[in-house]
Amino acid sequence: MEGFVAKHVHDYQNGKISRRRLIEILTLAATTAYAGKSAGAAEQSGLDAALVNHVSYTCPDFRRAADWYSMVFNLDQIGATARDVALPFGKKGEKPYGVSADDVPLTHIICRTRPADGPAGSGTPRRKANAVIDHIAFTVADFDRERAKAQLAAVGVKNVHDGGPFSVYVNDPFGYEVQIAGLGVTAICGAEARATCSDNR
Amino acid sequence: MERFIADLVQGLDGGKIDRREFCKSVALAAAVYGAGDAAQAQVQRGFKIIGINHMSYTCPDYAKARDWYAAALNMKTEAARDDGKRANLMFGPEPGKGGSFLVMRNPGNVASGSAGAKRGAEAVIDHVCYTIPNWNEARVRATLKAKGLDVTGRDGSLHVYDPFDYDVQIASAAEENAFRR
Repeated sequence: MEGFVAKHVHDYQNGKISRRRLIEILTLAATTAYAGKSAGAAEQSGLDAALVNHVSYTCPDFRRAADWYSMVFNLDQIGATARDVALPFGKKGEKPYGVSADDVPLTHIICRTRPADGPAGSGTPRRKANAVIDHIAFTVADFDRERAKAQLAAVGVKNVHDGGPFSVYVNDPFGYEVQIAGLGVTAICGAEARATCSDNR
Repeated sequence: MERFIADLVQGLDGGKIDRREFCKSVALAAAVYGAGDAAQAQVQRGFKIIGINHMSYTCPDYAKARDWYAAALNMKTEAARDDGKRANLMFGPEPGKGGSFLVMRNPGNVASGSAGAKRGAEAVIDHVCYTIPNWNEARVRATLKAKGLDVTGRDGSLHVYDPFDYDVQIASAAEENAFRR
């Protein structure tokens, strides 16, 4: 982005483009540069997981869990039934961050109360897994570790601890570990790296 | 945004900021704009959630899980983060721009600050559902069958088990959408 801006500033300062044109170019670039790639742009031979559609969170009291996740992450609760409720990461009509495709919906959490072996797709009891998702990390906007800790304290969340410079961990009401991180925590950088680690590699 | 950039140009012309600072300011403005007006997050109740950053998956053999998810769901291995005990598998938008990843771990491999896989939690994520764009029922089923997987579920919303019997759901936007429950 900076290189793009520098080129057009150079053109402007050398009289190649007008001030009006410079502003138009940079405005357009600034508002589209982070729109993300099209999920369907390069279909591959296998199944291309575009995004998490939902995570199914099962606990003894789904309402209590839903209220906690709503409070901490500012999420609405949609389609409540006697045993579950969905918490989408945005409002109806919005697209997931970084996704431009029309057929990739907002990720959501489904908070549920049901037996651990509740039926999977076949209607038969779910197999007992020999693997576990031991924690889940959510990306939040404008993450700052110390401010995050203050925000969590303000809403009564206890047992907050650091997860490197760019994330914090908390336990939800059922002891499930939740990590809160900024966009800088990636598969390449990790939470220990600098947020701008791509510049260092 | 246009007003903001116009002011920056005026500052550049007037010598109040240099060219380097100008370029950095525009790039930063674009990043903030892309983050969904992140500044508003500070004044909202709770955080403004962008998405799932990652999920930490602990199993008896991380390499087996890594290879399965890479083959079945086209997740990309980040080689530099594969240390023989764990690996990161990326999917979705680019890293740092909304992308997610799975961290595959052997038992005992724990992230810094994390308690790791532990007893005592009363909650569990019993399955994860992934959105497959450009859904084609016949193609999806054929792809899964070709990998030797038993497929259950209904059209547009299918379930398979990974090598450690973890329930994996794959779905189309039409069949799995929080606003159409």
